[in-house]
Amino acid sequence: MKNQVTYNQAFEELQKIVKDIEQGEISVDELTEKVKRAAELIKICKTKLTTAEEDVNTILKEIDM
Amino acid sequence: MAVLIDNKKVFSLYEVTRSIQKTINERYKATYWIKAEMNKLNYYQHSGHCYPDLIEKKDGKIVAQIRAVLWANDYKRINNTFKNTLNEPLKDGIKILFEAAIIYEPNYGVTLKIHNIDVNYTLGDLEKEKQETLHRLIKEKLADKNKTLSFPLLPKRVAVISVETSKGYADFLKIIDKNPWNYKFDLVLFASLLQGEHAIEAIIKQLNNIKKVMQHFDIVVIIRGGGGDIGLSCYNNYQLAKYIANFPLPVLTGIGHSTNETVVEKIAFFNAITPTKLAEYLIQRFHNFSVPVKNAMQKISVVSKQILLSNKKNLHGEAKLFKSVSLKILNSNTNKLTNSYNTLKNNTINQSAKNQFQILLHQFGNKLSYELQKNTASLYNQINILTNRHLNYISQQNSELNNLNSIIENLHPEKVLNRGYSITYKNEKVISSVAQLEINETITIQLSDGTFEAIITKIHKNEKSSNIQSSI
Repeated sequence: MKNQVTYNQAFEELQKIVKDIEQGEISVDELTEKVKRAAELIKICKTKLTTAEEDVNTILKEIDM
Repeated sequence: MAVLIDNKKVFSLYEVTRSIQKTINERYKATYWIKAEMNKLNYYQHSGHCYPDLIEKKDGKIVAQIRAVLWANDYKRINNTFKNTLNEPLKDGIKILFEAAIIYEPNYGVTLKIHNIDVNYTLGDLEKEKQETLHRLIKEKLADKNKTLSFPLLPKRVAVISVETSKGYADFLKIIDKNPWNYKFDLVLFASLLQGEHAIEAIIKQLNNIKKVMQHFDIVVIIRGGGGDIGLSCYNNYQLAKYIANFPLPVLTGIGHSTNETVVEKIAFFNAITPTKLAEYLIQRFHNFSVPVKNAMQKISVVSKQILLSNKKNLHGEAKLFKSVSLKILNSNTNKLTNSYNTLKNNTINQSAKNQFQILLHQFGNKLSYELQKNTASLYNQINILTNRHLNYISQQNSELNNLNSIIENLHPEKVLNRGYSITYKNEKVISSVAQLEINETITIQLSDGTFEAIITKIHKNEKSSNIQSSI
């Protein structure tokens, strides 16, 4: 569940940044920060899409317990 | 033949059973259509015969029970009809309407010998079960329960209820594993029977296992396919449908058949007609996540560029303004310089001084003009640099201007006085020739640090040149 929250949050935050830059007047300094953050969030999201995480064996062991 | 033993008429068991057989055979000569519930089919693979256990229940209690027999050939024929018409084989727990002869064998007792089973009766009964299951779930407000669960943003961790050898599972994996976008799913297979009456408990058992580790999963999918359409009425079973409706994770189905939608499919979070379609649905969910991320990337890039461009434009405007203001200051300083030059020129008191001053002035003028040019050039350079770079250079430029100012200030009369020159006034007018003076007149002489008054005692007018010496 922890991971899910992270990508949910990343996704939401990313959408918010896009909205912020699209709507608000934003200084160049802020812009740099936001773009930097957006790049991190995009990386998180993309990683979620393209990497496997769960260890099947661990899950199956838990069932037997 | 009965024998007499101790005055009792005694029959042998065989005689009794023969008698019963005779009576029954005479009484039940025809065949009869009978409805009953087939509690157990009791199919013997070795012989191919079945010995169905038939019952009738009333208020949940068995009120009648009888053994039947279905010979291998009859079974084969009837079972094929069932499969073709019902998509279900003959199986335990169904209601049947059958044509049978009532026979009695001394060895086995009363048996119903089944010749035929009316498939339409069972069809109606199965359909009835399906409708009952559905209505019950609706009544218990369970029919939409799984559908109203919130679906994860990314259905990444998938518990799969299927069989490794199922063609449907292979189809599903083909789409999931070979998607060209390189989306990765975490699939865990929970192997289960997927058709026939035993599938009900098998699927429930695996759902129960998934429930134990549900924190590792986003969704559950039930995948079947390639096994024909036989034995799917298990998906109309109330217990299974209820378990799925109540399941805490979204359950998606891809059962893959051509018959009517089963209850489980109806109440599942999402039903795809085939495992392939189900896989495509999950990929689409990934797209739904991926596309906004891509759009965000593009938007951020475009909007950032716009912001930078507009900032650059503003900077350019500021630089332009700065250039014009600087030029104004420069011009104003040049004017001041010219004025000072003129004033100095007018205020020089004697020819010698005037000459010397002119030379000096000339030198200054040259130097000044040189400096001016140099500074102008430098200023232009600075402006150009600034235009291209940054406004912070303003301060530097200002210091250049300050230098210029100090040079200009050096030409101020006060500064000239500092160097030992003096200015002579009479009646507050600057005297530039001895011809303007007379003996005993009082004049005011200005030095750098003050003035003093003097009375003229002698006047010497230079003869040769215009140089003037006056003694006081």
